[in-house]
Amino acid sequence: MSTVQTAPPATPSGPIADPGPEPVRRRPRGRAVLVGGMVLLICWVMLSPVIWTAMSVTKPTDVAFLDPPVFTWAPTFTAFVDLWQTTEFHKYLLNTVVVAVISTVIALVIGIPAAYALSRFPGWVSVALLIAALIFRALPRFAVVLPMYDLSRALGIYDTTFAVAAALVAINQPFSIWLLRNFFAEIPKELDEAAMLDGCSRFQILWRVMVPLMGPGILTAGIFMFLFAFQEYLTANVLTDVAARTVPVFIATQLGQTLPMLQQAGAAAVLLTLPVIGFAFIAQRYLVAGLGAGSVKG
Amino acid sequence: MRRREFLGLVSPSLLVMLGLLLFPLYKTVEWSLQRVNYGEPGTFLGLDNYAQALSDPRLGRAVLFTVGLTAAVIAVLLVGGYLLAVLVNGLGRSRPWVLGVLLVSYVVPNVVGATMFSWLFDSNFGGVVNYLITELTGQEILWFTDPWANRVMVGLNTVWFMLPFAMLVILAGLQGVPPEVVEAARIDGATGWRVHWHVIVPSIRGVLTFVSIISIMDVLRTFDQLIPLSPQAPQIGNESIMLYIYNIAFQDGGQQLGLGSAINVLLILLIVLLLSPFIRDMAKEARQ
Repeated sequence: MSTVQTAPPATPSGPIADPGPEPVRRRPRGRAVLVGGMVLLICWVMLSPVIWTAMSVTKPTDVAFLDPPVFTWAPTFTAFVDLWQTTEFHKYLLNTVVVAVISTVIALVIGIPAAYALSRFPGWVSVALLIAALIFRALPRFAVVLPMYDLSRALGIYDTTFAVAAALVAINQPFSIWLLRNFFAEIPKELDEAAMLDGCSRFQILWRVMVPLMGPGILTAGIFMFLFAFQEYLTANVLTDVAARTVPVFIATQLGQTLPMLQQAGAAAVLLTLPVIGFAFIAQRYLVAGLGAGSVKG
Repeated sequence: MRRREFLGLVSPSLLVMLGLLLFPLYKTVEWSLQRVNYGEPGTFLGLDNYAQALSDPRLGRAVLFTVGLTAAVIAVLLVGGYLLAVLVNGLGRSRPWVLGVLLVSYVVPNVVGATMFSWLFDSNFGGVVNYLITELTGQEILWFTDPWANRVMVGLNTVWFMLPFAMLVILAGLQGVPPEVVEAARIDGATGWRVHWHVIVPSIRGVLTFVSIISIMDVLRTFDQLIPLSPQAPQIGNESIMLYIYNIAFQDGGQQLGLGSAINVLLILLIVLLLSPFIRDMAKEARQ
């Protein structure tokens, strides 16, 4: 499933020709330089909003917003200190992480058995459920979130991380079931039969045979669930007020405020983006695998 | 697998979806037929909300904006995603690093990414793009108040955060193309773009369709990025359908929940219509 690493290296990486069994036609050096330059340029363009924000928030407030912008300055971290001291950023950060972790774990715990069952039970019931999940995945978010707002008020759980996490479990369920089902479908059914001959029940098969085999698949689905929960603005905005506010909602509310507050919002954006960059590096092969599994067989 | 085992394994997920998706959907349909405020029982109106929604020119503009944005973005995503995927696919040891960098805009929350993106163009924030364009052309572009400039900026931002997704899916597709086929085409004398156009593109058509469907569904949902990028969206006609629903049902002080729900129901019908070919395919597969 992770065929990511198997492609042959195409750029000439040293003075010695590639010793692989298949003779790879060597590209002219000029072309390698061209490709490298293009890749660097694209990476730079894609990162430029992050770079510019990081530059702006390390400038002193009086030069940060000058037009024309300044390109030399003595770096300062006042915006970060102020963000930490004058707002409840740590609380919003904690809320974001709590919501993402809780909703990911619950979505996996209830999604794994369902996806396993759907991959092994032939017939129209499974298909109907998968079609329902597809439609749920595509629904306009407001159609479920606005009633959830009303419901959470009525139940007295409005503005709690629990309410946001519960909503996100429901919203992300359909996608996780699709993704996990595609991974389960790649595991041969003969394994189930062998385990049953050894006297395992379905639940034991799932727990003892499937889950260990599904490690990468579960990790991939978990990364997607975490990512979706972590990014969610609309649901968190509608279902929270102050107590359960998440970082994306916080940053959006800081817009249109005074310049120091804008700079704090920028600092918050940078603080949120730094771990995300690390996450992107770790997650890239799983995201490719997941999207591959989802697209080829979905 | 026995029916009882199936039900046992599926039921927790089924309960969550029934309680937290189906019940709210039922509420939306009910509200769409009522005049209603949050927390109060509504009064029955019949189809008045639908009539009002369909005759509101603001909805018409929102649909036009959303559909135009979707068409433009999908075209760029397919071409750009393909080129980028081919480029990345040819990389060697540097590939994980390049992928990691390219994924940042996909992984950062939309609203945060759009905020950072908006600062590149915002003269109030000393925006560097804004500055360079003014220096080079001598013209100052009003990115936030001129409708077309704003549309271009929103489009650029949407491409910025969706391109990595398109690239990843197409990359996964490229890795499924048998190398022998490409080699055979090369031996037959096909070169450069002819190999791509006549051999590789047709063999990953399924993947390209998948990218289109998912991207269409996602761009139709455009909402988050407009909050920082288009603070005056209703005035300059750059409101998306979702932003319009948010503004009339939740913001604006109007709380026209019934009207918002009616538009939601219309959107659901449209989405089911768009998905119907795939649903038919799945049902056909199941019957065999």
